[in-house]
Amino acid sequence: MCGIAGIMYKQSRDNGLAPIGEELVKMLETMVHRGHDSAGVTVSGESIDADLLIRIWADESAPATEIIERAKEAVVNNGGVIVTADSRDSYLRVTANYQGDVPRLAKALLETPGVVLHSIGEGSEVIKDVGTPVVMDGRHRISDISGTHGVGHVRMATESKIDISHAHPFWAYPFTDITVVHNGQLTNYHGMKREYESRGHHFQTQNDSELIAVYLADKLAEGAALNEALTHSLDDLDGTFTYLVSTSDGMGYAKDRWAAKPLVLMETDSVVALASEEVALRSVFTDELDRTEPQEHEVMTWSV
Amino acid sequence: MVSLDASEFTTRELNKRIKEIVDDAGSDIVISSPSARHNLVVGIQKECKIAIEGSVGYYAASQLDGPEISIEGNAGWALGENLMSGKIALSRNAGASVGASMRGGEMFIGGNAGARAGISMKGGTLLVAGDSGFLTGFMMQKGRIIVCGDIGDAAGDSMYEGTIYVGGDVGTLGADAKFDEPTEDELIELWAELEAHGINKRPKFRKIVSQKKLYHYDTLERLERTLI
Repeated sequence: MCGIAGIMYKQSRDNGLAPIGEELVKMLETMVHRGHDSAGVTVSGESIDADLLIRIWADESAPATEIIERAKEAVVNNGGVIVTADSRDSYLRVTANYQGDVPRLAKALLETPGVVLHSIGEGSEVIKDVGTPVVMDGRHRISDISGTHGVGHVRMATESKIDISHAHPFWAYPFTDITVVHNGQLTNYHGMKREYESRGHHFQTQNDSELIAVYLADKLAEGAALNEALTHSLDDLDGTFTYLVSTSDGMGYAKDRWAAKPLVLMETDSVVALASEEVALRSVFTDELDRTEPQEHEVMTWSV
Repeated sequence: MVSLDASEFTTRELNKRIKEIVDDAGSDIVISSPSARHNLVVGIQKECKIAIEGSVGYYAASQLDGPEISIEGNAGWALGENLMSGKIALSRNAGASVGASMRGGEMFIGGNAGARAGISMKGGTLLVAGDSGFLTGFMMQKGRIIVCGDIGDAAGDSMYEGTIYVGGDVGTLGADAKFDEPTEDELIELWAELEAHGINKRPKFRKIVSQKKLYHYDTLERLERTLI
């Protein structure tokens, strides 16, 4: 099944950042019946006093402290200057000043034994874990993170294994700030993945949803606008999907031709919120609200 | 009249309490703060009046036989699923699969309906004041769907029997569906129904019905022929 949620405060760049982390956790917790396996969020548009915000998870191949040290060394050895480094259990959040080529740094981190890259952004981060959103919030203090927009997911695994790295959101390695949450199944995943691998793209997981992130990042890198990239995906992706994408300054949804997976949309002059179920919107916006249900073969995008 | 604040009950408790009130006292019920929760007011098989002051989630007012339900707000997927008799009136938008498998009664949607409205409908009337989505009337077998606005693609796909009336545009017709013209009497009857729901428009409805080329109930299997 899976539940997805997204929220954007349209004027938050000018009027002050919004409690994106807290509101995503609330929305996801009310949809926890749609998936207990894992949960995750992307908070975008954060204010950081550095060039890059890097999120790393240490796999279990060595003690977490050892892997985390290796990751920090990899950042420094590749020309990064670490501004902050916060580790919690097997997670590391680094902000760093870095003037070089981001794909080169991403590759260096990827090749560091035990390091799993959850995201690299100029103002966004992916936080994901097994368990429910409230449990995840307790571990990672997501509610303390402000930003301009973000997306989140609760997962009922169908297409690949249940572990931290197969939780959503999926970051489009090595493109900064592009992440996706997806409800559905892609049936042309393997063919498309091979095609993208043959063009030099790298996938970090066996999950079909990661393909959407890489696909969109590739289209954006070719110069497509976010809305165009999403529109192309309606015909290029096969299967059932309603997905949300978050970029450095944008957010959008795409819904397949069968309208197989739910989504409700609420929009005012200042905020847009999307979720698989209205009950999630109501956890943040308590008054009765006008909301619509996006239809089949449809995309929409917003920017801050 | 009994007032219930949904926020004070779990969904199971609330549905149990509603059934007790209906069975014991037969009172009208007003439910506040539904907060778009799922599975509210289900499985009631007696005549009664229940007003819900706010939006409801999935499967609201489903499995009903007799009640008259009004909902002041939106509804999630499968509102009024399997309605046998009674009335459901929703003031705003409904999600996908509204009135799925309904067999009787009347449903009124004040706003728009999502995809697959009236899917596998087996009787009754589903009236949508606004637009209705993709695959409206998919595999419907009996009854009427009346859409005052537009219908999306694949309207009436694989319908067996029954009628879809549409006042606006249709994206595409579904497999085995065709347009038909309603009679003057049908139009007058439809307009009267709209007026009864406070809709003061008189759309020039078209009908969508089955071409009946996809199914062959009158064609018996070889084994069946030997039994006659």
